Amino acid sequence: MTAGEGPLLEPPPTTPSLVPPGSLPLSPTPEAGWLAVDEGFDLAREHEIESIFTVANGFVGIRGSLAEGSALSAPAAFIAGFYDRGSNPESVPELVAAPDWMRLRIEVDGQPLRLDHGTPLEHRRILDFRQGILWREWRHCDIHHRITAFRELRLASLADRHVLLQSVELTPDNYSGPIRIECWIEPPATSPVPSDTGSPELLTLPPPPEPPPPGWARSLLLVKTRNTGLLAAFAAASRLQMVDGEPIEPILETTDEGPSHAWQFHANIDTTYRLDRLIVVHTSRHSDRPADAARLHLDRLLSTGIEPILADHLAAWQARWHAADVEIEGDEEAQRALRFACYHLIAAVNPEDERVSIAARTLSGPAYKGHVFWDAEIYVLPFFLFTHPESARSLLMYRYHTLPAAREKARTHGLRGAWFAWESADTGEETTPRFAIAPDGTVTPIRNGEQEIHISADIAYAVWQYWQATGDDAFFREAGAEILLETARFWASRVEAGEDGLYHIRHVIGPDEYHEDVDDDAYTNTMAQWNLERGAETARLLAERWPDRRQELLDTTGLDPDEPEQWLDIAARIYTGFDPKTGLFEQFRGYFDLEEIDLAEYTPRPAPMDVLLGRERIRRTKVIKQPDVVLLLYLFWDRFPAHVREANFRYYEPRCGHGSSLSPSIHALVAARLGDLDLAMRYFRQVAEIDLADNMGNAAGGVHAAALGGLWQAVIFGFAGLDFASGRPTVHPHLPPHWRAIRFPILWQGRMMRFNVGEEPWKETKT
Amino acid sequence: MKFQTIVAPLDGSESARAALPVASTLAQLEHAPLLLLHVSERPLPARELAEKLGLTREQIRGYVLDQTTGPPADGILRYASEQDAPLIVMCRHAGTANPPDVVGPVAREVVIRAVTPLVLVPPERGSRPWSLRRILLPHDGTPTTAAAMDPAGALARRAGAQLHVLYVAAPGTERPTEPGTFTTPRYLDQPQHEWPSWAGEFLDRMTALGHPPADLQIRLSVATGAAGEEIVRAARENDVDLIILAWHGRWEPERALTAKTVVREAAQPVFLLRL
Repeated sequence: MTAGEGPLLEPPPTTPSLVPPGSLPLSPTPEAGWLAVDEGFDLAREHEIESIFTVANGFVGIRGSLAEGSALSAPAAFIAGFYDRGSNPESVPELVAAPDWMRLRIEVDGQPLRLDHGTPLEHRRILDFRQGILWREWRHCDIHHRITAFRELRLASLADRHVLLQSVELTPDNYSGPIRIECWIEPPATSPVPSDTGSPELLTLPPPPEPPPPGWARSLLLVKTRNTGLLAAFAAASRLQMVDGEPIEPILETTDEGPSHAWQFHANIDTTYRLDRLIVVHTSRHSDRPADAARLHLDRLLSTGIEPILADHLAAWQARWHAADVEIEGDEEAQRALRFACYHLIAAVNPEDERVSIAARTLSGPAYKGHVFWDAEIYVLPFFLFTHPESARSLLMYRYHTLPAAREKARTHGLRGAWFAWESADTGEETTPRFAIAPDGTVTPIRNGEQEIHISADIAYAVWQYWQATGDDAFFREAGAEILLETARFWASRVEAGEDGLYHIRHVIGPDEYHEDVDDDAYTNTMAQWNLERGAETARLLAERWPDRRQELLDTTGLDPDEPEQWLDIAARIYTGFDPKTGLFEQFRGYFDLEEIDLAEYTPRPAPMDVLLGRERIRRTKVIKQPDVVLLLYLFWDRFPAHVREANFRYYEPRCGHGSSLSPSIHALVAARLGDLDLAMRYFRQVAEIDLADNMGNAAGGVHAAALGGLWQAVIFGFAGLDFASGRPTVHPHLPPHWRAIRFPILWQGRMMRFNVGEEPWKETKT
Repeated sequence: MKFQTIVAPLDGSESARAALPVASTLAQLEHAPLLLLHVSERPLPARELAEKLGLTREQIRGYVLDQTTGPPADGILRYASEQDAPLIVMCRHAGTANPPDVVGPVAREVVIRAVTPLVLVPPERGSRPWSLRRILLPHDGTPTTAAAMDPAGALARRAGAQLHVLYVAAPGTERPTEPGTFTTPRYLDQPQHEWPSWAGEFLDRMTALGHPPADLQIRLSVATGAAGEEIVRAARENDVDLIILAWHGRWEPERALTAKTVVREAAQPVFLLRL
């Protein structure tokens, strides 16, 4: 499938539910635009389906694995901030896979109820964006022609992030007979990603001494990371009941896999049985005694029952969608793709935890080890900035809390200020692996941690954007200002004065990572210039408005009051590679002298261009991995006249190999702003397919946070053309012809504004 | 997949006898009888057969010398069809010159019509002993090709050989459209993370679909370029002993281009596994 073609997963269900309604108090959202549906079962795709159908709430994410397992199931839960380190000195921290809390074993008269035993008559997984629920509907015929209907609901509560819920309905369609159900919490299966840390150590605890409410079985499980010593406690309660509410007595068992709850009963034909499993997770990151916290929390929930948990969860999602939903009229696929993106973004963030950020693959998979990149600020954060500023603030506070590590990184390199890690985990120390090992065994040194320094300016940029959009002076004063000052200081120590009277930044990697160790990357230098200017402005604002805080920062950072003046001088004389005659930026020194490659000759392209040409060869060509100058155009749109924007896009776009999932969204956005809607739609569909179609081959390790955030930006800032040049949100729409309208809310300075773009004139309402 | 019989057709030429070391080793690995087959217009007296095939007593010790009549390809295929789970091991072509059609006329007929697996041995191997330490399995990422993981893995296990799976990304070729196909990623955001993930996923998928022995060590590598040339190159550079090619059984002029290149160019025996 090439970009611009093909469906995004299966079309939504047009038939009624496979399973007759039972006692579950909810049903899937009926509107197709709110659903991703996977019909049938394709074993080969199971890992990517697990990623795509993850339920999460920013604290914990659970892959959409089959509860009973399959030959290719990789079930896992990921807890934000739950990092471990390997014992190998070269290993880096990684987010460990926590136990899989929703394992089920169902046997009908001794026959396992599994997709690979007997014949699945119908099978469907539904990710319900609106309700934040994973549904599963399944009718299965076993080898003795007994048909069982199965319906499952799974969620990670957005209202109470420690709470996970699984409800299963089981109905014997055409038989009566013995059924055994067993559920337990299982250590994670082997990760598809090589791991240095190993699984957390399992510590089974005795069940609480107090008797559970009637019909419920409880157990408690504790895991401990092998080297960081973090604890995570899982308190579990399970109940099986008939449709009339009569409970079936559980059997509490303890095996090598840990405690399990089981039920053995005679099932009657056409009778529905409902299993509810409630799990509460607490970690030692937030509690000195996580096992006690989990147990007590669970007991509180059991006293009120399942329904209030469901109601609170739905209300929380409803509130988030109220401030985030973008309606696209005229394009159902685009609508679904965008809601899919928003769903996973909302599910990725925890505004209540300032010590974690959003990893490259969110909490949906093991790839990228849970590391945080610049994607978090440039690609992901804008969604939160304008839909849920509390979350944006939390993400920025993560960077604030990692300032000590950023200062230390700068210091150890003989520099000043704060140099943020290219890859960051719990502490903010640099966690970029030093080598990449390709499948052919080639070992390639990885230099991003040393050279991809633009991340410091990216974070500063996000801080400033947040303050501009929210007016959150408290954040700016107490945290943001320090980031802006320290990053400006970093750049002032990193630039080199040249004989040409200008300042240069040498030996860097820009966003285009095909070219390493280059001098004067346009993106890096311009971002540094902006950072220096904003640093000086921050110093001025502190002096004018918050002199006490200014003095405090001068004292704690050792900042010389004259430094901001020097920053302005550097900013005024920093080399940017811009040629006023042609209107072009040279992406870096010497770029225009490199070899031209006609990318059309490599179409269809079976692999990224750096793989096809080789690492050394591609460095000698003009082929770029992802937008560098084009990203600059977007971030500083109003700084450049129209002919400069047009000239640079037309120059760099044909030379981009799109070897990064970060690439098509920005191209869609800029193409839309330039009015090239065919090209914009082509890129839009390309980025929409990155996870939903997984024809790029790497969704198995988790969804792509940057692509999801980029998709939202392409719609809002590209097609709708939202900008703030006038000092307030204004739209300059460039809608594809078949998009009749886009309707979306924006939070600006504490107020919600709703835009209806597509009607002339566009409407704006404030709520 | 377990072979109960190894059939090695011989016509008396030196080229044909190049199949013997390979057939002999495979027979030992499979604990299967090796049947040395001659097809002629009329049967020869048993005592003359070994001489006709150019075999010494030493060379036939432990093997069965058999013959049948008819056109050579017909005879080979008929004889094989009468055996239990046979594997045909034969020379790519008899005679000395390279045939215009990759393989000789008899081998061509057998390749096209055989429903059983067969191994084509390059005549240049001569009579050197052959052992199986490294197997190369080119893989296009399709579930169909994944089915080759089982026989390839089983053979590797019996031989104690390493199974080397090679994926070739060929510019200008469309990706396979078969559902469940897993090819090289289009995006390599950060290769230090992406490649380990990709390799793990590739092997996970293909082993789940293909069921090779669970504890078999599999090496995976990726090459870029024309598939046939890259397979031949990888076989040469990695000192491979056997190339296992999964193919769809079509040998028309415009089909099986990769397989034809490999059969023609490879210095190693090529195991054609029809899927």
